[in-house]
Amino acid sequence: MRKSLTIGAAVATVALLLTACSSNDKDVSSGTGEASPGFLSVADTSLPTGGTLHADLDYDTVEANGLDPRFATTPRSWTIEGLSYQTLVAVDQKFGFKPELATSWDIVSPTQYVFHLRKDAVFSNGRPMTADDVKGSIELLQESKSSWALQLGPISSVVVNAPDQVTINLSAPYTALLGALANTPAAIVPAAEVRAGTVDLAKQMVGTGPYVALSHVQDESWTFEKNPHYYDAKKVGPDKLDIKIVPDEASRLAAIRDGSVQYAFFNNADTLDLLAGTKEVKAVNQQNTDFYYLILNSTDPSSPLHDEKVRFAVNAAIDRAQLSDLTLAGHGKATGVTPVGLPGSCSPSQLPSAKLSKDDITKLLKDAGASNIHLSLVTWNVESAPGKIAQVIQQQLRPYGITVDIKVVDTATYTAAFYGGDKTASADLGISWYAGYGDAAMVSRWWNTEQATFTSRFMTESKSLNDLVVQANEEPVGASRDAVLTKLCAEVDRTAEQVPLMTRPGVIAFRTDKLSATINSTEGYGDLFRYVTDFRLTGSK
Amino acid sequence: MRVLRWLPGRLLSALVVLVGASILIFVAIRSLPGDFSQIVLGPLSSDAAKEQLRQTLGLGKSLPEQYALWLGNAMHGDFGLSLASQRPVLDEILARLPVTAMLAVIAMIVTVLVGVPLGIFAGTHASTGRRSVVTRIVSTIGISLPEFVIGSIVVFLFSRFDLGLSVGGFVSPAQDFGAGTVSLLLPAFVLSVFCVAATARTTRDSVMGVLVEPHIAAAVARGESPWFIVRHHVLRNALIPVLTLTATITAYLLGGAVIVEQVFNVSGLGSYLVLALSRRDYTVIQACVLLATAVFVVASLLVDVLTGVIDPRVSVAKKGRRA
Repeated sequence: MRKSLTIGAAVATVALLLTACSSNDKDVSSGTGEASPGFLSVADTSLPTGGTLHADLDYDTVEANGLDPRFATTPRSWTIEGLSYQTLVAVDQKFGFKPELATSWDIVSPTQYVFHLRKDAVFSNGRPMTADDVKGSIELLQESKSSWALQLGPISSVVVNAPDQVTINLSAPYTALLGALANTPAAIVPAAEVRAGTVDLAKQMVGTGPYVALSHVQDESWTFEKNPHYYDAKKVGPDKLDIKIVPDEASRLAAIRDGSVQYAFFNNADTLDLLAGTKEVKAVNQQNTDFYYLILNSTDPSSPLHDEKVRFAVNAAIDRAQLSDLTLAGHGKATGVTPVGLPGSCSPSQLPSAKLSKDDITKLLKDAGASNIHLSLVTWNVESAPGKIAQVIQQQLRPYGITVDIKVVDTATYTAAFYGGDKTASADLGISWYAGYGDAAMVSRWWNTEQATFTSRFMTESKSLNDLVVQANEEPVGASRDAVLTKLCAEVDRTAEQVPLMTRPGVIAFRTDKLSATINSTEGYGDLFRYVTDFRLTGSK
Repeated sequence: MRVLRWLPGRLLSALVVLVGASILIFVAIRSLPGDFSQIVLGPLSSDAAKEQLRQTLGLGKSLPEQYALWLGNAMHGDFGLSLASQRPVLDEILARLPVTAMLAVIAMIVTVLVGVPLGIFAGTHASTGRRSVVTRIVSTIGISLPEFVIGSIVVFLFSRFDLGLSVGGFVSPAQDFGAGTVSLLLPAFVLSVFCVAATARTTRDSVMGVLVEPHIAAAVARGESPWFIVRHHVLRNALIPVLTLTATITAYLLGGAVIVEQVFNVSGLGSYLVLALSRRDYTVIQACVLLATAVFVVASLLVDVLTGVIDPRVSVAKKGRRA
């Protein structure tokens, strides 16, 4: 008996000592502060270039048309394909636009843009890029009828004025044109070869970007090497990128902790706390213009949500600040349909729903004859946040006599519930997220039932909302546009069929003993390697 | 020769099992909500685009037609293309199979080398109070704890502290056999915990059952040494139930490998199947389930053959049933 107690005490002591020792290995890693305006971390580009960057991502690109950038629909596709492709313009850290393949541009009128092109851009197959490639790429995107073709807006023609100049003509004003041109699906490709069939974009990535894909094992890994034809090849940091696809967050956490990788991405906001105190690891919270939203299915006449008053009451009952605290460790920001942080975005605190008191909400439900109602809520399980958001919303609605039954399902089941073959969605509520992009009005297209027909299963057509979306995308930048965006936010808030909740932050962690990295504070297109060319590998490579 | 009498019947029933499993999984996965076109095109695509993709992938045909096409090709070793990667499913399985096989083999080796001796020790020292209690507690914990719990603890400990093995960097044995094998040690250990506990318990019970047999008492009376008695009189009789357990363990290893591969990010068949399920990649799911069924059926057959070899008293009546 005494021997057993002695052994037990010894084991407990060792465990305590190990825990104590680990907590003494300090390098403060938690990062929400900026290293410089617009950046959470800035690489020391005076360090020598070279070496292999080892990185972990959460999922791979899986698209119906393979690697064809025109059909890239997910941020990971944009991230990975963006290593090989470039666009005419890019977003900067303040969500302005900066030159990329276009060195400058002139907005001649709201319907005419003239782009002046780089003369030294070369595709990875060795052919110089020309103005005909720009014209051809935009036309190929339009012909594809992909979802990004819709975002491209009402382009009526692309004219080659000179070997290094193109004009894009629009049939109507479209303020978000630059935002649409800044994302990977609008990449400039070798148009002649694509039309001739000698380059199959589904299988090959032939772009002007800094890296060329060496190998790809689906859902396992990517290997890239520096593109020798890239115009700034000498300034590109890592010679090689070794990207592993690691769906499990704990595995990515283990890899960054033990140094197997130098750079990793995490969806779970708690990762900042989990990595706090980990030696030689810096974890930063990167804000996104992406945001979570709640679907309130208005198309079922027998559902309480068919009544706009009930939907508005549900919207008003959701406490976004509490939602962020409990589910995203306080890192999500309340937002309207114009993602908070983008120029011209509306203030969530000024929305109609934010001005209702608890008594107002109760009265609204009573007037609508909605008491003791049951709603079904479906969300998906790939990330942990949607399930947590569902639970908090369930608790927030309970005091108003609204009972929410939650189902957390896989992505396929969720997709079938809201976008499947039936005329109306099969659940009352749903939680998902949208990419917010780089222009305040771009994402609002998904609220226009005429353009975004996939919403017809849970949104009732509203001409006033559709018109506001069109107007928001046409109005030129300035005070009048800001006024339209505010009206749009209010209308989305009031009709409450897709209700923006809060931004969707991500955590990026990197090894400070092996990597000097540049990371922007806010990302609009999910590009985790936006500044990879600035990265410098330090120590053992 | 006695084995040859019942073998044809067993092979026929194995074939029936395989075909039945293929029909079951074919129908089951198509009954799930959502299909591949919805997943890969995403919610922002039009209904027309989704339908076009379904037609291109052959998903628009009737179910019996799809099954007949698939079965006909499968019998020639063609399991179709993965809907996600558009690569032959067989190639992708063959690339991942060695990893899962190695994982299972290492786990099985640990199970036999640790579980059996542990069980024999526990069985032969059952009367010595404290040791017996400790052994039973350890085996109960080993059987009760799920792999994802043990795996998560192992991942945390080995990533948080420098304990000699890395958990974050799986290396494929095809790329580097040495490094790949080392990277599989921890996942194999996690996979083997339940197997060791179950094997130890079964061996212990079996040994204790044999030790009370009259021939053991006779051996003791003859003055044979304990080690000689265990080696020549106990083991052979006690191992029959353990062999039967092996077939069950094979099924467990296949299922447990799915979880362990997810936790340790091992690129084996288990993680391949999980991803295919979430994407509704029908061709991959069908092929993997068929393969798993085949492995289990073969393992059961082998166990039956070995049992007959080890214990000649096991005889076979007419019509392929054992006495």
